[in-house]
Amino acid sequence: MSVFWSSLGFGVVTASILAIAAVGFTLQFGATNIFNLAYGDTMTAAAFVGYLVTRAHLGLWAAMLAGGAFGGIFSVVLNRAVYAPFIRRGTRLFGMIIVSIAVSLILSNGLQAIWGANFYSLAITPGRSLRFGPFIMTTVQLVIIAIAIAIMLAVHLLLRHTRLGRAMRATANNATLARNCGIRTDLVIDMVWLLSGILCGIGGVALVANITSFDFGTGGQFIVLILTAAVLGGVGQPYGAMIGALVIGLATEVSAAIFSPEYKELTAFAILVVILLIRPLGILSEVAQQKEVVVA
Amino acid sequence: MSLAWQFYITTVLIYVGIDIIACWALNLQFGVAGVLNFAFIVFQAAGAYTAAVLTLGPATKGGYQQYVGGASWPFPLPVLAAAVVGALLALLIGVFSLRRLRSDYQAIVMLVVSLAATLLATNKVGLVNGPNGLSNVPKPLSTVVGMSPYGIQYQWLFVGLTAATCLIVYWFVHRVTSAPLGRTLRAMRDNEELAAAMGKNVSWLRLLVFMLGGAIAAVSGAILVILITAWSPSSWLFPETFSYFAAVIIGGSGNNLGALLGAILVPVGFLEIARFVPFGSAGFVGAVQWIAVGLLLLIFLWFWPRGVVPERRRRFPASAATVTVASGGIRGGLRRSVRIPAPRAAKAGHDGGGAVAD
Repeated sequence: MSVFWSSLGFGVVTASILAIAAVGFTLQFGATNIFNLAYGDTMTAAAFVGYLVTRAHLGLWAAMLAGGAFGGIFSVVLNRAVYAPFIRRGTRLFGMIIVSIAVSLILSNGLQAIWGANFYSLAITPGRSLRFGPFIMTTVQLVIIAIAIAIMLAVHLLLRHTRLGRAMRATANNATLARNCGIRTDLVIDMVWLLSGILCGIGGVALVANITSFDFGTGGQFIVLILTAAVLGGVGQPYGAMIGALVIGLATEVSAAIFSPEYKELTAFAILVVILLIRPLGILSEVAQQKEVVVA
Repeated sequence: MSLAWQFYITTVLIYVGIDIIACWALNLQFGVAGVLNFAFIVFQAAGAYTAAVLTLGPATKGGYQQYVGGASWPFPLPVLAAAVVGALLALLIGVFSLRRLRSDYQAIVMLVVSLAATLLATNKVGLVNGPNGLSNVPKPLSTVVGMSPYGIQYQWLFVGLTAATCLIVYWFVHRVTSAPLGRTLRAMRDNEELAAAMGKNVSWLRLLVFMLGGAIAAVSGAILVILITAWSPSSWLFPETFSYFAAVIIGGSGNNLGALLGAILVPVGFLEIARFVPFGSAGFVGAVQWIAVGLLLLIFLWFWPRGVVPERRRRFPASAATVTVASGGIRGGLRRSVRIPAPRAAKAGHDGGGAVAD
């Protein structure tokens, strides 16, 4: 029974990391309709930035800030320099998948060329183990959960109570209509990429803070869980992604404890297949139906 | 020619043949029919596993490798069985994952299928010996023709066998792509709704082309495993699928010549060029190789999205206009050579950027 409880605890931590990453992924997808498969590798790149910061003895918080800043800037540049030009040139849905996989390959192999096929870990101590009833958690894990909750609240407030958030929702819903209403959709799209990148970067640092070691492929493997969480919640729906992250995070960790850790990802795949089977339209959410890629 | 060079050249030639077969299979699915098979490498892997298991003989209890369905069949049978398994696997996967989804969603679903297959083969050790994979697969025919399987004569014989398989596969894909079926498939790729409205059973056609491509991909895997005599989950990771996509797109999707050129350029060209890079560790060279493939693909999608050998525009005699439309109008070629009412032609010919442009 204690195995179950501790796996539940791990599940909450995984769900927190997943929520940060999946909300970033789905926000960007909802507004632009681009499946950015380089997202996971951007997380890895941000994790390496965080690694350098912790090596300079600046601690986890500074690492998260640096990772978030890197992710944000990188994503805006990636969109401006690669994705947006391709869309303007007429590359469409499937073509954009190919483009994003090409970027993902360049990024992950670039990281491998720089850092080698070695394993790294953040230079932080996991902190004291604290006990809450049946759960045992380290300070770092508590920090991750707290950050995730704070980010979810911030995203909620941003989307519901600010002009920018309203503009983002309008653009995600109907970019042409939003532009005709006088919304600077190009700026909104930039802000979406920035926000998504910041969440991606923070998620990347949180991911490697929670595991003992990482290499150039860590984020690339995590993207499958992100996709599953985002799809489960209905792609493009930030609140759906939060719920999806919670379900996937708990399901994978608990199944790892019950069956075997190797089947963690298979559980996620199985959930994805089941969603596909019970929804005849597949993973099409209402938001994504019949939309095209959006550049500005 | 020294013996080492002969070995090198024969190995490269066999790789060329294998990659050409694989690219024709992918081209049939992606280039001609527009079916987005991001799990392509799974079918090559299935073919390799089938051929390996059927030549290895029954697994011994407590032996160093465990697998199901071992047998020692004589040469052409394991390859043929691989084709059958490839087609059946395609049927199985196609039935639940070939849905009418937006093209990028379809790609994601297939990607997940590919990753799940890798996990399954790695973790279910009894299936195909788990992460260690199968090894010491015997080379076929050596006793029949009385050659050492490691001699140069056998290598040349193998080149001949690969070339013969290439010819058979070419004959097959050419028959498919030049037949009315090929025209229907291209019509489906360019405008699915239109093809369906013309009475074509689009779901069946997609499944059919998925199975044909799966069978051919499995054949390429079967020959590959005879060449390298070993096969494990690390031989068929997801990026390998992408290298074939890169080959077909760069060569020119939608025509068999383009796929052939792409096969020589991308998987063989980059693999072999890397052998001559004089510096860096093995991992570094591999990484640079993949970066180059990614950049090459971006460059091609930007400047030449239709590839080195673009698909030719097909023209049809004006007198056959009604017949042509009935079997699915294709791209701009139809609009230019045959005057048919604008509303119909407008949608059929809107796609100027090749199959990639969706």
